[in-house]
Amino acid sequence: MAGKGVRKLFIKGLWEENPVFRQILGICSALAVTNLLENTLIMGLSLIFVTSLSNVTVSILRQVTPSRIRMMVQTLIIASYVIIVDILLKAYLPDISEALGPYVGLIITNCIIMGRCEAFARSNPVWPSFLDGLASGLGYALVLLTVAFFRELLGFGSVFNIPVLPAEWTRWTIMVMPPGAFFMLGIVIWFVRSLGPKPAPKADARG
Amino acid sequence: MIGKRAFSVMYMLLLTLGFTSAVTLVYGVNEERIERNSRLKLQKIVLDVLNVPVPFPSQPSNIIEIFEDRVRIYILNGESIYMALSEDRRDIQGYAFRMSGAGVWGPIHGMMGVSHDLDRVLGVAFLDHSETPGLGGRISEEGFRNQFKGQPLPPERIKDTTYFRVQPPQATVRSPNEIDAVTGATGTSNAVERMVNGALNRYLPFLAELRLEQEELTP
Amino acid sequence: MDLGISAFVIFFAAIFTNNILLTNFLGMCSFLAISREVRSSIGLGLAVVFVMTWTSAINYIVYYYILEPFNLVHFRFIVFIIVIAAFVQLVEMVIERYSPVLYVILGVFLPLITVNCAILGVCLFMIIREYTFLQSVAYGAGGGIGWMLAIVAMGGIRQRLAKAPILKPLEGPGITLIIAGLMALAFIGFGGMIQIQ
Repeated sequence: MAGKGVRKLFIKGLWEENPVFRQILGICSALAVTNLLENTLIMGLSLIFVTSLSNVTVSILRQVTPSRIRMMVQTLIIASYVIIVDILLKAYLPDISEALGPYVGLIITNCIIMGRCEAFARSNPVWPSFLDGLASGLGYALVLLTVAFFRELLGFGSVFNIPVLPAEWTRWTIMVMPPGAFFMLGIVIWFVRSLGPKPAPKADARG
Repeated sequence: MIGKRAFSVMYMLLLTLGFTSAVTLVYGVNEERIERNSRLKLQKIVLDVLNVPVPFPSQPSNIIEIFEDRVRIYILNGESIYMALSEDRRDIQGYAFRMSGAGVWGPIHGMMGVSHDLDRVLGVAFLDHSETPGLGGRISEEGFRNQFKGQPLPPERIKDTTYFRVQPPQATVRSPNEIDAVTGATGTSNAVERMVNGALNRYLPFLAELRLEQEELTP
Repeated sequence: MDLGISAFVIFFAAIFTNNILLTNFLGMCSFLAISREVRSSIGLGLAVVFVMTWTSAINYIVYYYILEPFNLVHFRFIVFIIVIAAFVQLVEMVIERYSPVLYVILGVFLPLITVNCAILGVCLFMIIREYTFLQSVAYGAGGGIGWMLAIVAMGGIRQRLAKAPILKPLEGPGITLIIAGLMALAFIGFGGMIQIQ
């Protein structure tokens, strides 16, 4: 695949069709884990892992899978990878696994992954599917890291658990509580959308 | 010629078999490690609340070694009481027991250590909880936990004693047995208060008897 | 491990103080997409209540009587979601049969419920929190009602907003999230009402 094609895929995943602020997908976890950068990073990496591998698997099987049951097949594939991530986290990063709690399991219902499998992987060859999954996952992770950066900074005065703001700074505790998550994400979406014209309006009523 | 339906069913079954096998494999390979992690966590925490010194930074082998060397377990009604031996291994230095309570988001499990004379707290630590990271979750931090270290316990055993009170942090100096709550995490802080008092009320009378028994046995 | 929290308390907490959408962020995707008007919000909300209550009950039984005894706990994700998917399929068939009107309104959304993280989330949370059977069902029912409360309230607000001038970049998800933030803030006010003890 030509380098230009790769670039296009990444621009699509990271900006034009960014799963979070363009397609408004994967919001649940975007709000839940973003009060600490460390947890957000692991969540982002886990999602990239699951999305790219699921895309690859769906793509490999795309010619064999009967169309009627493809949703079930996708769910099975995604769930399996999520379980694997969960096991690996429990084994090698037990503290973070605890901090992420049930939200790792909820990656299964993260609409981004199913969305990419449906929209891309089931009708495209393996390598582009892998890149597409990677790009979407990356787009998701970057938005989450941005939200988390502000939430942790304003709410705890730290970045990746390293205190950054002076001790006199009054923490905006609301930022690390649920309302802060909603506000922050809303503001990020607002900011991004006012930056660029939305390319080819996508229907808002997407699952 | 296999019908479409039949093929779909077989395909699904085959795929399910394949993926569950893969998952089982990954689990099998890591199962021991996961169990070791939780055992190690428990041992680390028991050593911590019993004030048994552990080298820093510590390897898992250190923890296991020290634990087996200095800690003895006494089982009561299916629950474990951990006893720390003193450095010369001749006396008991302290007792540790579980404490649990309902937190804001889910159960909080922890351990508490008290001195052999039952006159002060050696430490508290938390095994797991589902509190908000950075808010209620901060009860796991040393700053919060250290407040309990060395706090006195009264000699009398009265039912439902409030041994500790968790209060919103103040600028003024605190009287003993008053603990600063975690700012912004009232629910979790109150849960810790309940847990700590509940555990002390539960175990102190029993430990007093156990201690008497042990003293009778060793001249 | 029964921590002695009354099932009633859990039920009310799931609606108000620990609203699964405004506090735990579960079920956001369909929340953002469907909450444009009250009618569809009520429809989806009712479906969620029904599915959530039943699947909590079923998944509880599956977890404690099948998965745990056979040491298959790590498969809970797959098993739970299969149970949920099967149940939703069932609901879809029943609605199609008995209420074509409802089917027209909800048709598109039912498959959405399967990937609605709220349903799976509630099942996972009830395991983590070690709820008993009664507590789990109370949590499922309360969670569903809480979710419905949030989405219907949002539907009402957005219907009113439809005529209000909103900055273009804020339209849609932007303003919805900010409103949700305000709702979450308001719901925090319920906090002292219920003592989870």
